[in-house]
Amino acid sequence: MGRRVKVLLIGFGSVGRALAKVIALKRKIINSRYGILIDVVGVADSKGMALKAEGFDEYELLKLCEVPRSGVNLFKPYAHQGVDLNILYSNTQPDVHVELTPSEYTSGEPGLSNIMYAIDRGAHVVTANKAPLVLKYKEIVSRALSRGVRIKFRATVLGGTPFISTLTSMRSHDVERIEGILNATSNFILTEMHEKLVEFTDALKMAQALGIAEADPTLDIDGVDAAAKIVIISNILERPLKIEEINRESISRVSLRDIIDAVRQGYVIKSIASFDVRGGKASIRIAKIPRSELFAQINGVMNGVRIRSDATEVVFIGRGGGGIETAHSVLDDIVSLSFEDS
Amino acid sequence: MLGRRLCVVKIGGSLLRDSKSYIESAQKIREVFVENGYKAIIVVSAAKGVTDKLVQVAKGSQEALRHIVEKYLEVAKELNSVKVIKRVNEELKRLEIVAGAINRSGVDLSLYDFLLSFGERISKILLVGALEATGVNALELHADELIVTNETFSDASIDYISTSANLEKLYSSIVDSPTIPVIEGFIGSTIDGRITTLGRGGSDYTATAIASLLNIDRVYLVTDVDGIMTADPDIVENAKLVRTMSYRESLEASLHGAKRINPKAFEPLEKFYSSKLIIGSWSKFGTEIVKEIPRELWGPKVIMNRASQDMSYMAIVGEGTSSVQFIRNVLEIIDRNGIEILGLQSYVHRPSLLVYVSSTYELKTLHLLHKELFEGV
Repeated sequence: MGRRVKVLLIGFGSVGRALAKVIALKRKIINSRYGILIDVVGVADSKGMALKAEGFDEYELLKLCEVPRSGVNLFKPYAHQGVDLNILYSNTQPDVHVELTPSEYTSGEPGLSNIMYAIDRGAHVVTANKAPLVLKYKEIVSRALSRGVRIKFRATVLGGTPFISTLTSMRSHDVERIEGILNATSNFILTEMHEKLVEFTDALKMAQALGIAEADPTLDIDGVDAAAKIVIISNILERPLKIEEINRESISRVSLRDIIDAVRQGYVIKSIASFDVRGGKASIRIAKIPRSELFAQINGVMNGVRIRSDATEVVFIGRGGGGIETAHSVLDDIVSLSFEDS
Repeated sequence: MLGRRLCVVKIGGSLLRDSKSYIESAQKIREVFVENGYKAIIVVSAAKGVTDKLVQVAKGSQEALRHIVEKYLEVAKELNSVKVIKRVNEELKRLEIVAGAINRSGVDLSLYDFLLSFGERISKILLVGALEATGVNALELHADELIVTNETFSDASIDYISTSANLEKLYSSIVDSPTIPVIEGFIGSTIDGRITTLGRGGSDYTATAIASLLNIDRVYLVTDVDGIMTADPDIVENAKLVRTMSYRESLEASLHGAKRINPKAFEPLEKFYSSKLIIGSWSKFGTEIVKEIPRELWGPKVIMNRASQDMSYMAIVGEGTSSVQFIRNVLEIIDRNGIEILGLQSYVHRPSLLVYVSSTYELKTLHLLHKELFEGV
């Protein structure tokens, strides 16, 4: 039996469920490979929480995924009405706090307070919620440093790939430019428009039907999500930008006419996020890309980013926001935190 | 590696008619399998008629959509569980969004299959709810995460290697828990996560694939009849149950249109582990289908009257029916009774004999041949 790592999941939407499932399926394997036994000791969503200090077993984790949206409070016999982090922490003494609440870019809540609370209670933090990092990156990181805990967020940018850890580890490089397709939903919509020759609204409907776009898709289609990712990247590179400083163009302005015109001229239309690191400028813009170029061939829910440094050029291509892929990134963060602790 | 008491049980849509039948099916699963120490993996179909309605929804029928919503909500309410009602409502809302999108985007096969998949998806939530209401621990598995297929939408084939890896991983994490897993039949997904369907009768295929990939000995196909009959009992009143058939015989019968089993269901059984299929109803499991039958069980098993391009024919299916002796026997019967035939078709490597007759002789020939071939001592 390996060393126990007690984990709290705060937020239980599609990523939270995917994570519970992946942990259920892989915790034995991770235990035998690395000697780390991941125990989910508590789960919370907007309405309630479920906690079990000795850790939910595989069956219970899979069973948890059957609760309706905001239905953790129905998970008998472990359920509590309402969310109270004090109760969760006092009863379970978690090692790792996993923040999976939705991103909200005005106040950063509830993620911001949750993360600060976790740090103050001495728990390491893994977050897939971008908003707290986008709004208060410095504060969060320095607070964690002062309390001797770490924060990891591999799932926030190109969640299906180890992009963040690679970028973080390129310590001797001067990164000059980062650009690419950072939002899976808008890339899917644009791809639909090209492939099926439909208007934006129909492509959006399709994306919503397939569960790729949210009921309120504005964060994705207006470029807020991509801009948030650039902000996180800028902080990692210690050239911090504010999200308001990033000029954004919404893909809702792209018409079928634009697409047809572009295709006739040998281009495709993409939403490209770019960050000129030295100039300290970034934008999310609608761009006509020659069909032969790499970014023109990254379609559907795929993402792609190019990192250009003074020494090299690296390209990442991978699924952006799928539940299972993102869950694996979160789990990788949990495992690596546990490694560093031992 | 696997326990002996494991089996796969497919619950056919004919058993899932209304709100009562989900509870009844759950009770039967409990009585027949759980209480006898079996760990059953349940493969569930859509409620009766729902898949047909979904096809109409894809064509834009609001009425069909209302019908499905009402039917499934009624079952959910009968189960009287907040959790189940909320879940079913969530799925029905998604169904409505998908239905709204499909009418705008013209024919998109992946969206079409996604739409069809709701019949089984909701049915699964309901059956798990019903099992729990009867005191059985049940767990939802998700076919779209486990059953990997190619990209032939609406008639997909299972990618056995990927599916097997998924099943084994899942199996090892739940084998020790006292729970009955329930998975949707009929649906799968491509490697990049788009939902596919396996074609009509695809739930059988799901069941046989799971059993053969996990080396499980028995697959129960539970329906509303006691087994495979020698002929359609609505036409031939002396039709009787066929006790044992081989895969080959059963496949041949399917190819000639016997409604019972999807022909693809035999592929995993032939390629991997050869599980035994047991077909019947809760009151009687009348027919067993096995890889091979001993010589003494050779002979005609089923006779069906079919039509192909306006030609009616009798298909007599069974090992040995393409032998010279058998054909001579059939011809003698026909000759003795003064029936004119239009043709004969038989290949030595296939277990069937087709007798083409004009449609005026069709029923007479069917009754006669059934009497002579199946009703003897």
